[in-house]
Amino acid sequence: MTPASNATASPLDAADTHADHTDGAGSPLAAQSLHASYGRGRGRRPVIDDLSLSLPAGKVTAIVGPNGCGKSTLLASLSRLHLPDAGAVLLDGDDIQRLPAREVARKLALLPQETHAPEGLTVAELIQFGRQPHQGLMRQWSAEDRRIVDEALTAANLHALADRPLDAMSGGQRQRAWIAMAIAQQTPLLLLDEPTSALDLGHQLEVFELIRELAAAGKTLAMVVHDLVSACRYADHLVAMLDGRIIAAGTPSEVVTPELVRRLYGVTCDLLLDPATNSPILTNVRSIRAE
Amino acid sequence: MTSRSLSCASAPPPSVGAATTMTTSTVSMTASPCDSPSPAARPPAGTWQLTWRVRDRRGSVLFDRRGTAANLGLVVALALAAIASLCAGSLPLSPLAALQGLAGLGDPMNVFVVRELRLSRLIAGLATGAAFALAGCLMQTLARNRLATPGIIGIDNGATAFAVASVLGVGVGLAPPPMALAGAVTATVITFALASDIGTRGYRFLVAGIGVGAIFGALTQLLLARVAIDAANAAYPWTVGSLNARDGASLVWLEIGLALGLVAALWLKRDLACLRFADSVATGLGVRVKRSRYAALGVSIALTGLAVAVAGPVGMVALIGPEIARQLSSSRGVPLVGAALAGALVMVSADLVGRLLVAPIEVPVGIVTAIVGAPFLLWILLRPAARFRH
Repeated sequence: MTPASNATASPLDAADTHADHTDGAGSPLAAQSLHASYGRGRGRRPVIDDLSLSLPAGKVTAIVGPNGCGKSTLLASLSRLHLPDAGAVLLDGDDIQRLPAREVARKLALLPQETHAPEGLTVAELIQFGRQPHQGLMRQWSAEDRRIVDEALTAANLHALADRPLDAMSGGQRQRAWIAMAIAQQTPLLLLDEPTSALDLGHQLEVFELIRELAAAGKTLAMVVHDLVSACRYADHLVAMLDGRIIAAGTPSEVVTPELVRRLYGVTCDLLLDPATNSPILTNVRSIRAE
Repeated sequence: MTSRSLSCASAPPPSVGAATTMTTSTVSMTASPCDSPSPAARPPAGTWQLTWRVRDRRGSVLFDRRGTAANLGLVVALALAAIASLCAGSLPLSPLAALQGLAGLGDPMNVFVVRELRLSRLIAGLATGAAFALAGCLMQTLARNRLATPGIIGIDNGATAFAVASVLGVGVGLAPPPMALAGAVTATVITFALASDIGTRGYRFLVAGIGVGAIFGALTQLLLARVAIDAANAAYPWTVGSLNARDGASLVWLEIGLALGLVAALWLKRDLACLRFADSVATGLGVRVKRSRYAALGVSIALTGLAVAVAGPVGMVALIGPEIARQLSSSRGVPLVGAALAGALVMVSADLVGRLLVAPIEVPVGIVTAIVGAPFLLWILLRPAARFRH
C-alpha cells in the first residue's frame, strides 16, 4: 500500500495522450497516475489503470462510461473513500489520503449512492449533520451554523418540509435533502455518485437544476451519471471512461461523437444538437449486434 | 425573553485550557422557541443549548430535549426500582426503614441488611445493567444492526467460558475479571477473523458471531461436565447469569471500567451519530470511520467482559436497554446515557422480580431477562420498519 509514492510529480508528467490536460495546478481536485483495484490476493481486480484527471474549477464535470468501467471507483478515490494502489489524489495540491479527515470534510462534500438514514431523522436534522466538520465537542452550535443550515434549506427549496422525517418523503425530496446536507458542509467541492439514478424525470430535473445553481454559485462539482444525454445537457466538462482509463475529456459538444458512443456502449447512433440547449442528443440508437 | 443566564458558579464552563480567564466567561441556557436578540444562536428545534464564552472563544453544547427528558424519567424509575430492591427480601422493610438503613440510622439489624447485604447486590445490578446496555448500544451502532449485541455475537459466551475456567481453576490462575476480558477479546477476534470485516457485511458478522458463541457455550458446558459436582454447582450461576454469586473485587473492576467506558463513549458520541449513516457519508462528514469503530468496539468488549465477570452472561439486557432508550429519545443522536440507565433499570427490576417471584427460591436474573428478552427480540425482528411514516 503505497498510495503516494509519486505525489510530487507534476500532473503534466503523466503524459497519457487521452489524459485531461487542464492545468492540474489550478484545479481544486486532481488525480495523478491513479491505479486502483478491488479485492486482495488472487481475487484482486484492477479497476483504474494509470488515470490522470483535473476537475476544472467552478464547473460541473460529468463522468460517464459503461457499467464496470471504474467511474464509481474513480469517484470513491477522489473522495478518499477508496485507497489507491499507486498515484495520488490531490486536494488543493495536497495528497488527500494524508490530510486530516476533518480538513478534507471542510473542502470536499460527497453525496454517495447509499443514503440510508436513521429512522425518524428529519430534514433539518439531516442538514445539521453537514455542519459536523465545522463543529466540535465543545462547539456544537453557532449563529453561523444556524444561518448556513437555513441557507441550505432555501437553496434546496425544503423550508416547508424542514421538520418532516426523511422516511416520509419522496425520492426526489430526499435526494434534495441530502444535497442540502452537502451544501451545509460549505465546501468548495461537491462530488455526487449517480445523484439521479432512482428518480423520475421531474425529480431528475430538480436535482440537475440544483447542481447547475451550485456551479453558478462558484462550486466545483463532479458527478457520475448514467444518462449520456443528461450529462451533455448539464455538465460543462465531460469525462468518458472505458476499462479504467479516460478515453475522452472536454466539453460535451467536442467530446461526444457517434464513434465515442460506439466505443463506450457498443451501440450506433446519430447525433443531433438540441435546438433549445445546443447540447448533443442521441437518436436512432441501435445495438451493433442487431445489425 | 425566555433565555436566562446562569452564573458561572452554578454551571461552570467546561474550560478548554482557559481556566485562568474564567472571570470573563458567561454561561447561558437557551431554548429553541426563543426569538430574543441573544448573542448566542438559537439552537435547533428540539434541543436545549448551553453556551458560554471565555474571552472571544464561544462554546456551546446541545442537549436533545426528548433525550434529556427520557433520561430524567429513567433516573426516577431507577431510583424507585432501587428503593424497592433495598426493601424486598426475607426481611421486608418499608421504604423509610430502607432509606434510614442506607443512611446508617435506626435499627442496627436494618442497617446491616441494607448496607451489607442488599446494597452491594443493588450496586452490582446497576453497574452490570448499565455496562451490558452501553456495550450493546455501542456495538449496535458500530455494526449498524439492532441485533448485533455482544450477547448475540458470542462475546458473552467467550467471557463466560474463560471466567468459568478461572472459577474452576482450570488453566491459568487469573481472577475472573481479566479472564473474562481475555475471553471477550478472544471471541471477538475469532468472530472478526471469520467475518473479515465489521459493519459493511452485517449479516456475515452476525452469523460468525452466533457460531463462535455456540462453540464457547459448549466449552463452558464441557468444563462443568469435567469437574466434581460441587464445583460445577458452584459455577452454575455463571452459566445463566446471577447477581447472587458476585464477587467484590470483580465489582470494583467493573465500576472503574464503567466510569472510563462512559467517558469514552460520550467522547465518541458525535462520531457514533454519523456512523449510523453509510460509511461513505460518515467519511464525507470527516469522521475517521475505522478508528471510531474500533474505539467503540474496544469499549464494548471491555464493558461486556467486566460485566460478565460480575454477573455472568445476562446478554439480553444489551438488547433491551438500548431499544428502550431509542424508543424514548429522538433520532438526532445515539442514546448512550439513556441506554445505560435503561439497562440498569432492566437489570435491577429483573433481579427484583427473580427474588420475589417464587420466594424464598431465587430465579437467577439471567433467566428473568431471557424470559422478558425473547418476546422483545421477536418484536424487534417483526415490528413494522417505519414507525414514522404518515
